Amino acid sequence: MAYEVSIFLENKIGHFERITHILKENNINIRSMALNNTSNGWGILDLLVNSPEKAYNALADKGVSVALREIIALEMKDVTGGLDDLLLKVSKANVNFDNAYGRIIQENKAAILVIDVQDVEDSKKKLQEAGIQMLDDKNVYGIE
Amino acid sequence: MYWEKNYETLSKNELTDLQIDRFNTTLKYAAQSSFYGNLLQKLGISPGDISDIRQIQDFPFTTKQDLRNNFPYGFLTLPKKELIRLHSSSGTTGNPTVIFHNRHDIDSWANLMARSLYCAGIRETDVFQNICGYGLFTGGLGFQYGIEKLGALSIPAGAGNSLRQIKLMQDYGTTVAHAIPSYLGRLHEVFEMHGLTPQKDTLLRTLVIGAEPHTEEQRKRIEDLFGVKAYNSFGLSEMNGPGVAFECIYQNGLHIWEDAYYVEIVDPDTLQPLPDGEYGELVMTTLNRQAMPLIRYRTRDITRIIPGKCKCGRTHRRIDRITGRTDDMFIIKGCNIFPMQIEGILLKIPEVGSNYLINLETINDVDEMVVSVEVKKEWFKGDIHKLDLLTKQITSMIRDEVLAKPIVKLVEMGSLPQQEGKAVRVLDNRKNGI
Ligand SMILES: [Zn+2]
Repeated sequence: MAYEVSIFLENKIGHFERITHILKENNINIRSMALNNTSNGWGILDLLVNSPEKAYNALADKGVSVALREIIALEMKDVTGGLDDLLLKVSKANVNFDNAYGRIIQENKAAILVIDVQDVEDSKKKLQEAGIQMLDDKNVYGIE
Repeated sequence: MYWEKNYETLSKNELTDLQIDRFNTTLKYAAQSSFYGNLLQKLGISPGDISDIRQIQDFPFTTKQDLRNNFPYGFLTLPKKELIRLHSSSGTTGNPTVIFHNRHDIDSWANLMARSLYCAGIRETDVFQNICGYGLFTGGLGFQYGIEKLGALSIPAGAGNSLRQIKLMQDYGTTVAHAIPSYLGRLHEVFEMHGLTPQKDTLLRTLVIGAEPHTEEQRKRIEDLFGVKAYNSFGLSEMNGPGVAFECIYQNGLHIWEDAYYVEIVDPDTLQPLPDGEYGELVMTTLNRQAMPLIRYRTRDITRIIPGKCKCGRTHRRIDRITGRTDDMFIIKGCNIFPMQIEGILLKIPEVGSNYLINLETINDVDEMVVSVEVKKEWFKGDIHKLDLLTKQITSMIRDEVLAKPIVKLVEMGSLPQQEGKAVRVLDNRKNGI
């Protein structure tokens, strides 16, 4: 199972940097990220890192509101239309997601799409039935 | 010139005699309540004993806490079947403050309200739009009964919905409106948004503003924006509601109706009475209320008696604008709010910490209450929907409690200043805008 690190973040100067600084000090590499700001002055920062558990502990130690969230990672081709091909399959599988972000694994060859869904188990089942390949954590975080 | 010349222009001696007489009657009623019945016994004072109005100072103060402790009937002097209305503070935390009225009380209040409006130059020929919440809040029905007593045409418009307010003004030729000052800026914006100006597109000539402290500059701005005269209204629910003190057409302080209230200004620290002209806490005794008289009630409002006579000829003294409070209550959107009420709500929500901060801000010309609360770390699961839902839940719970809708801001744990003991919970950054 693959996880992202979710962080509650106030939309204020220096708050984001505080997080990246803690990760840097702990030698954690950020592979990908998505920052979801609301109009209420806060947002949620989702990070894909090489070592989610280590990142979680490091951040929690510093008093950050942080959570590990299971995600679904899907492979796509790093070519024109690659995302569209994948999304077409996902929508046919009737899976809805709140948040998504991508990362290239191999230039011009492979990329992954991370999707945040409300019901992980249900979505996994639907994707499986539709024959969509899901990636394991090693492929998601990359090799250290 | 006057609504009741015989009362409004009494000489000092006549007024004092009337006060003594009415205070003795008040004691007769008060003696029938459990709270004052016990007190009179303890003090050894009987109704009729008062021959000098200064004897009022032999009584201890009555506080909001006394009202809460003796909720609901401890101050009631009459059997329930004699009562015809109650007004109560909102709130689900702790005991509310409730005031009961019999028919005499409602009539007397309506009369004071009519007298107040008349003294601001409002007449039976006026069309009066009451832009004010009805219900338990005293501003709605308080004004309503006064307008009807005066004989003007009342439009019980209620609060909010600015476009409808403007339409009512245009449809029925509103000449007078009552609203809280902070709402009028918003209302004017809506006029502008629709290419209208109050001066050209309405018959409005008078505004009555109250329930919220405001400065002379704010009044001037309101008068300029609307092209009207704006008169200051003062009241508090424990003293009925609106109609306690009101500005006359000379706009130099608010005549406080001394045939209905005995007025003292006391030093908030020593609680000793202060001479006219000095600022202190306003303390009031009802002189014409039967169901629930209050003796030496501490209003917590800070003001002074303006020395000297008013050009209008009314002999009832004038109080100045309210300059502050001797407790931590604040007023926003016309609602009286204690930080304790907000705290009480937050304690019921397990997802947030007990630390909080209330910022009063002027946002887009509207005064807002921004409540910052810390999201508990253990509760955070990275789900944006849950946080949105939590925000909505806190917003509606606070709104239900204090009647004013807050802006709820979730903040990171530990980001609010740690507060111990007598903490500063409220920061008032309002720009004195309207
Ligand atoms: Zn006057």
